[in-house]
Amino acid sequence: MKKLLLKINSGKLLLTILLSVLCTVYTAAQDDSTAVKEEEPEATEIVKLSYHSSNNSIQYLLLKSIIKKGKEQTPVKNKAYTIYLDSAADATKVADVKTDADGKAKTFLPPSLKQAWDASAQHIFIVKAGDEEVISDYSITKSKITIDTATTDGIRNINITIQKQEGSEWLPAADVEMKIGIQRLGGILTAGEEETYTTDSSGTVSVAVKNDSLPGDDKGNIILAVKVDDNETYGNLLVQQAAAWGVKTTTDNNFFEQRTLWSTRFRTPLWLLFLAYTIVLSVWGTLIYLVFQLFKIKKLGKQAAH
Amino acid sequence: MENISTLQSERITRELMPQKFGKRGMIWTGALIIICLIGLYAYYRQLDKGLVVTNMRDYVSWGIYISNFVFFVAISLVGSLITAIFRLANIHWSTPLTRIAEIIAVSAIACASVIIIVDMGRPERLVNLFSHGRLQSPITWDVIVIGTYFFISLLLLYIPLLPDLKILNEQKNKGPKWMSKVYRFFGFFWKGTKEQWKISNKSVVILSIMIIPVAFCIHTVTSWLFATTYRPGWDSTNFGAYFVSGAFLVGSGAVVIAMYVFRRYYKLEKYITEKHFDKMGKAVVLLAFLYLYFNVNEYLVPAFKMKKPEEAHLTNLFAGEFATMFWFAILVGMVIPVLIMITKKGRKPLPMFIAAIMVVVGAWFKRYLIVTPTLLHPFLPMQEVPESYKHYFPSWEEWAIAMGSLAGALLIITFFVRLFPIIPIQETITEEHEKAITENK
Repeated sequence: MKKLLLKINSGKLLLTILLSVLCTVYTAAQDDSTAVKEEEPEATEIVKLSYHSSNNSIQYLLLKSIIKKGKEQTPVKNKAYTIYLDSAADATKVADVKTDADGKAKTFLPPSLKQAWDASAQHIFIVKAGDEEVISDYSITKSKITIDTATTDGIRNINITIQKQEGSEWLPAADVEMKIGIQRLGGILTAGEEETYTTDSSGTVSVAVKNDSLPGDDKGNIILAVKVDDNETYGNLLVQQAAAWGVKTTTDNNFFEQRTLWSTRFRTPLWLLFLAYTIVLSVWGTLIYLVFQLFKIKKLGKQAAH
Repeated sequence: MENISTLQSERITRELMPQKFGKRGMIWTGALIIICLIGLYAYYRQLDKGLVVTNMRDYVSWGIYISNFVFFVAISLVGSLITAIFRLANIHWSTPLTRIAEIIAVSAIACASVIIIVDMGRPERLVNLFSHGRLQSPITWDVIVIGTYFFISLLLLYIPLLPDLKILNEQKNKGPKWMSKVYRFFGFFWKGTKEQWKISNKSVVILSIMIIPVAFCIHTVTSWLFATTYRPGWDSTNFGAYFVSGAFLVGSGAVVIAMYVFRRYYKLEKYITEKHFDKMGKAVVLLAFLYLYFNVNEYLVPAFKMKKPEEAHLTNLFAGEFATMFWFAILVGMVIPVLIMITKKGRKPLPMFIAAIMVVVGAWFKRYLIVTPTLLHPFLPMQEVPESYKHYFPSWEEWAIAMGSLAGALLIITFFVRLFPIIPIQETITEEHEKAITENK
């Protein structure tokens, strides 16, 4: 009887395990099927254009093209685009550009469009890929930045004025956010306490320079820089200006001018030059002597033949 | 007595004259030419597509080409050992081996120069080495010293050949016309006058003295190409002596192989005797022990300290990716040949031949182990490097070019043996006469 109960219990146990396994497999299969059903994200091409003005005089455009698929972004390489100013016509064509390995392309405004550029305070840029218009409403308003420096009571101030063009007039540009600082190799070092500053209603902002012992060039010049990034109305602006507010620095070239094993070929250590030339000249001198001996053997042979 | 001497001279001349290729010779030469042509085609591909056809990447930038270069430079050192050191030490038994050693030296050094140009990828930039080279760089020293050693080896091959060229010129009706022209071009002026002999002997003595320091320099400087860089496995003060001792070993191994092949193929048993194998065997054993000694220094001392950067390198050699090759190079390249050649029976021609092949093959892999594993362990590893940077196995183009250069060296020796006597005829005749005079006394 006990044996029979044991058999029934063992059967139940086996049945339970089998059912559990089947349930797991079924659930996994269902999970798989739903995973297959999930739609793959669609790939979309995104083209971005940005206007840049450097020192109020050089204007250029940067185009970036990417394929976005879910969270993944891939640059579009070697794709041709045409950029127009105000209208998509041959007469107003800025340039034909082709994206590089990073999906980027750059072009300057050509001199042929100077008249059209000067004619208006606002402009629209149009981008076409073949016949398809990919950007049609990228507009910018012309603007300029003025940097003025002043020292009051020993405090150095940078006064910035940003103006926008309206018709033929230059008016203050209010609420423009910018970085104000000193141009270093790694970027712009902020001049005051804040990371960014915003112009007031008169289009100005003033910053007291907190760091007055920055190394400059050999005349003590440092480069002040004002940078407006990605402004909806004015685009990207950068203006730089030298100011004699730095500490004079002189480059110590002494290290490179020494005659060392790691210096250039014109600064070989004298002991090495002496040693190398002595060895080379003595060995090759002997070899040349031996070649002459060969000629002597030849001469002796000819004499013996006679 | 004079008649006997003349007959003996004629016999020696007849037996040592260069011989036409037989069927086996033709197959051998043909095979070498085919390997060279495949190598040339691979080099054409490398020139066309760039060094990307190789498997060298940012980590392993010196692969099989530089291993091959070091191998060639090593093998070339034997010229100085047999021609110069033995000559200056008044060791006469090595006379029949001098020319074998010298032609091995010349062909090896010529191919070493070629392979270094191959490794450059852009051969036309060789000129930059001279126009922009820095005297502070060991690479510049290597170029100077290789050029010098090549020239000295050529002179050491050519000057002792002059008396034999006279003999060859006298036998002009016995070979093709173009060969007679070659002999005439190189040696028509040798008349064997007393003055000529005097100058020739003096020149050979000067060259023998000069070639020893130059030979030590060539391989020491080659070792400095590695040792002057701060890398695990190369950062060693032991490297110069380690390279020179290894070079003498592999060079002697190559001479033993050549001795066996020429003896058997050209029936030179009277001239390359079992006594020569016995003596060379003893020399190889001595050199193998010397090289083993430097190997113990080279690996045991860093392994005892196990500095962190050395650890990965040494573990890789002893028990990692390169362990099979490492133990093969140590056992087959040094230990087993010593065990064979240390016994008198082992110094018979055939066992010596087998042991010498082991030495040379082991030495080739040893050079590969000196160059490549170190490069796989840079001090400043790059982040997220492609998998191909972390491992190196030569591409077919690299193998073809390397094998082509080895075949090229053998081809130079093969053509030389076809043109000129591999055992100096005049020196052998003189030695035989001197022996006869001593015996008569």
